[in-house]
Amino acid sequence: MSTALAERPRRSSSARYRQTLWLLTSRDLRVRYSTSALGYVWSILDPLVMAGIYYFVFQVVFHRSVGADPYIVFLLSGLLPWMWFNGAVSDSTRAFIREAKLVRSTKIPRTIWVFRLVGSKGIEFALSLPVLALFALLGQAELHWQVVFFPLAMVLQTVLVAGVGLIVAPLVVFFRDLERATKLALRFLFYASPIIYSTADLPESLHVLASFNPLSGIFGLYRAAFFPDQLDLLEVLVGAGMCVLLLGVGLAVFRSSERAVLKEI
Amino acid sequence: MRASGPPVIRVDGVGIRFRRNRRGRRSFKDLFADSSRRSRPGEFWALQDVSFEVAAGEAIGVVGRNGQGKSTLLKLVAEVILPDTGTVSVDGGVAPLIEITGGFVADLSVRDNVYLTAGLHGMSKAEIDERFDEIIDFAEIAAFVDTPYKHLSSGMKVRIAFAVISRLDEPVILVDEVLAVGDKAFREKCYRRIEEMLADGRTLFLVSHNERDLTRFCERGLYLDGGRLVFDGPLAEALERYGSDHPPRPSA
Repeated sequence: MSTALAERPRRSSSARYRQTLWLLTSRDLRVRYSTSALGYVWSILDPLVMAGIYYFVFQVVFHRSVGADPYIVFLLSGLLPWMWFNGAVSDSTRAFIREAKLVRSTKIPRTIWVFRLVGSKGIEFALSLPVLALFALLGQAELHWQVVFFPLAMVLQTVLVAGVGLIVAPLVVFFRDLERATKLALRFLFYASPIIYSTADLPESLHVLASFNPLSGIFGLYRAAFFPDQLDLLEVLVGAGMCVLLLGVGLAVFRSSERAVLKEI
Repeated sequence: MRASGPPVIRVDGVGIRFRRNRRGRRSFKDLFADSSRRSRPGEFWALQDVSFEVAAGEAIGVVGRNGQGKSTLLKLVAEVILPDTGTVSVDGGVAPLIEITGGFVADLSVRDNVYLTAGLHGMSKAEIDERFDEIIDFAEIAAFVDTPYKHLSSGMKVRIAFAVISRLDEPVILVDEVLAVGDKAFREKCYRRIEEMLADGRTLFLVSHNERDLTRFCERGLYLDGGRLVFDGPLAEALERYGSDHPPRPSA
């Protein structure tokens, strides 16, 4: 009697996981691009305007002594990945709240609600890379073999963003204040991370501390493509450790709070 | 007629508690503490010690007054919330007609939404392609396929949502009062669709206050009272128990 039902092949759960993750990731992108006339331009306009501002302030006004030349390439190679980090973490504060109805009616693995943000912001980051390439060409920045570290940096950043998102997303459901606290922390972190400057510009006493900021090592890896001297092995190793640690903590927090999150929303 | 075979739904000693007041404070410690060691004064058990099994092809109606845990039970079976004690296992997928419009995105077109929602419930793109026209026909909104979802009337929204979820090939259907929406003709269409699905050998889990709906589809009744399963047996008897425990008040 149930022949019609039995025919359907059951796909493996990991295939379903990937399908669902991709569905929601592409939905995020489609919503973003279909609701605004400029679409793709927005994802590069934001970093461009910010880069323009910092370039003006630090290069033209202050005659900066930090970073490396060409400064615009130096800036963008930190700013673009920062946008990914910033966007995904601040969106993860609303990962459950905004999708409450959908979370309440579908039983997809809950980690997808966070990972889709990591994915969609990561894809936007990848789509904004031509901007970096363009300015590198215009500024005649030299491309070094260290560009091979670029994918490694992306992997590390994926781990980092996923870990932080897994911590933030469920906790915000219980502590709504955390949403604002996260925004504040991100603003602080922007200046505490080597984006407009390099960790080499920091006073000696802060070096060790800075390496515990996983973004230091990650940005170093990105920048090594154009500025090989920005690569600091200690930063990368400590940073990678921090990324893995944060992901571990994130998975633990997420697992132990999942039940309560589902009741709450 | 009680269908035989291995159970598709197995609910074993399930309990779940909620906070009485939603704004209650919660400490970080609670989050990590073992669930049995927590002391929570402001909590109550919405369901406690509920156990039953459902065989393939059964149609089950859940009765009980408001706030006795009916919808919670349905959500547990849909696995969209997780029990604090006991286990729920469902063999195969579930087509939940719960908050059916929840997955739809206002800014995307009907077409995109159909692919999205059906995809989230585990259908592959090829399967959706195959059924797409059928879904649109059923919802009677062929003219609005490329309209953003937010521009549909509320009736159309429910129709397309029902059309999608009821076309999922899942062996278990969960229905929570959604049939109270839509005009009469469409409601009848939904009922017929549910009957077709039942005839296909699917398992139905229905929460309703409407006795007529319950007797139309279900043979077996679960009667919940005070968060406990007080009766599990033929629907007529469940309704009778329910009626005698809570006699309908004469309308003033």
